[in-house]
Amino acid sequence: MSNVAVESMAAPAAQEQAATRSSLSRIPAAFKLQFTVPSQMIWVPLVVFFGAWGIAIGIGAWIRHVAGDGDIINTGASQATIWCLAFIAAYSASHTFPFSMALSYSRRVFVLGAFLAFATVSAGFGALFSIAILVERATDGFWAESYAFDLPFVTQNAGVLGAGILAGAVCLAAMMFGFFWSILYRRVSLVVLWVIVLALVALMAVTVMVLTQNDWWPHVWDWLAVQSSYSFAGWVLLLTLALTALNYLVIRRAVPTA
Amino acid sequence: MSTAIELKRVSRRYRSATALQDVSLRLEKDAIHGLLGRNGAGKTTLMSIATAQDWPSSGEVRILGQRPHENEQVLPKICFVREEQRYVDDALAKHAFSAAAQAFPRWDAELAAQLAREFRVPEKTRIKKMSRGQRSAVGVIIGIASRAEVTFFDEPYMGLDAVARQLFYDRLLEDYASHPRTVVISSHLIDEIAHLIENVVVIDQGQILLQEPVEQLRDRAVTLVGRADAVAEIAGTREVLHHEAMGRIVRTTMLGALDDSERQALIERDVEIVPVSLQQLIVRLTAREDASNQTTLNPSQEVAR
Repeated sequence: MSNVAVESMAAPAAQEQAATRSSLSRIPAAFKLQFTVPSQMIWVPLVVFFGAWGIAIGIGAWIRHVAGDGDIINTGASQATIWCLAFIAAYSASHTFPFSMALSYSRRVFVLGAFLAFATVSAGFGALFSIAILVERATDGFWAESYAFDLPFVTQNAGVLGAGILAGAVCLAAMMFGFFWSILYRRVSLVVLWVIVLALVALMAVTVMVLTQNDWWPHVWDWLAVQSSYSFAGWVLLLTLALTALNYLVIRRAVPTA
Repeated sequence: MSTAIELKRVSRRYRSATALQDVSLRLEKDAIHGLLGRNGAGKTTLMSIATAQDWPSSGEVRILGQRPHENEQVLPKICFVREEQRYVDDALAKHAFSAAAQAFPRWDAELAAQLAREFRVPEKTRIKKMSRGQRSAVGVIIGIASRAEVTFFDEPYMGLDAVARQLFYDRLLEDYASHPRTVVISSHLIDEIAHLIENVVVIDQGQILLQEPVEQLRDRAVTLVGRADAVAEIAGTREVLHHEAMGRIVRTTMLGALDDSERQALIERDVEIVPVSLQQLIVRLTAREDASNQTTLNPSQEVAR
């Protein structure tokens, strides 16, 4: 039973008018929230960046020492930081989001703060990526023709700057993607999560089959060939903005305890 | 006095359960309210909905006159640290306090530092590695130092030892006296927070059983101890909440205050009045509400049993 009779909602006009702060005024605080523990967004990615690079340099030098002069060695070590940041973004959804609720941020402010923080970190990654390319060029791949960043498919159309912008864009997309899966897991049951995964796999399979059946792959390769790092980064950023909007729609009804 | 928290016909249904059912509630501003109930009664759900961490399936919520969901006008005025709050991974207590300082406009860093010393919160231990009590202390400190206009504490004593619990009660009262605000404390240690709270809300199975000022609630019942026939005579037709018989001596808790003539009769018949503890009263009232067939016991039958 409910023995408390409530005749009308008390909404005094004075209370309604009292608040005048901007609804976005706490975005800087939500941005800083992501950097509350500096190891999370700064030190760990830096350790991974230089650690993976160092390992790749070591492997390249070793191969060159064993095999002698030969083909240029291209490695995928530059991806390590992107994967690391994708996981850190997922952590942000699983750990920082519940804390942001205790700090009474609206979900909108939290997502915008997270997006700006991820964009800042991604920009930093893009800048480091460009610097790493210059270092590799200056040293001829650390005197072993071994490259982790100066990769032809990244730099050939737009040079060092374009490569950095593309790397930053891909990093931001990866972070929003990691954030998305973590927040989706919080929002839906495990069964629904896997149904969504399977549905996406099925969608991709159907796309591949349609392209193959209609013999459209040459068009796809042609389209990819005319893209520069700049235009490709633009497409990735468009995808990222769509992911950010999707993230907000998912988090809007997510509960911090789930 | 104006209203700080208002719920109107709020229900929260999950697939297999109903956590809140048609709850209407109005809590006054600048008072300490106790939200009492058994485990699973709906206390945390109610607080989650009031703070926009969760949302109602139906009904309306207003905090300080505004809907809280996604409302940055009112959210900075609310603080709700959960019983098992998650923090940023690898965070130390100072990280949590620094984040809270950014979020709450009325945050008092000096008070937070003082409370951290008093609660002996370790400075160099990650929150996730702290003991349950230390983690609770971090939440309690955020709740008090935030000075949020509407502050919720969800069973804040979990894991705290007796000294730390008393410290929490003392510091909360001190700070409340100097900075009045609306505080809601959920608990099932009713007697422990009885001296703290001004208003009681009892929730059970997702429904509000009662909402009353503490003093008014205490006046609703008395416990009489004495000879069975004398107690039965004074009790008359009053509703008996609880009855214990120890040979010829009985202890009966019943609803209704005593008038002067009845008090005189108590003295004449050597019947003693024992104060009813808030916990006892709420447990009895809750049990009564739970009973599907509420009956007013005939005291003579009860005594004879």
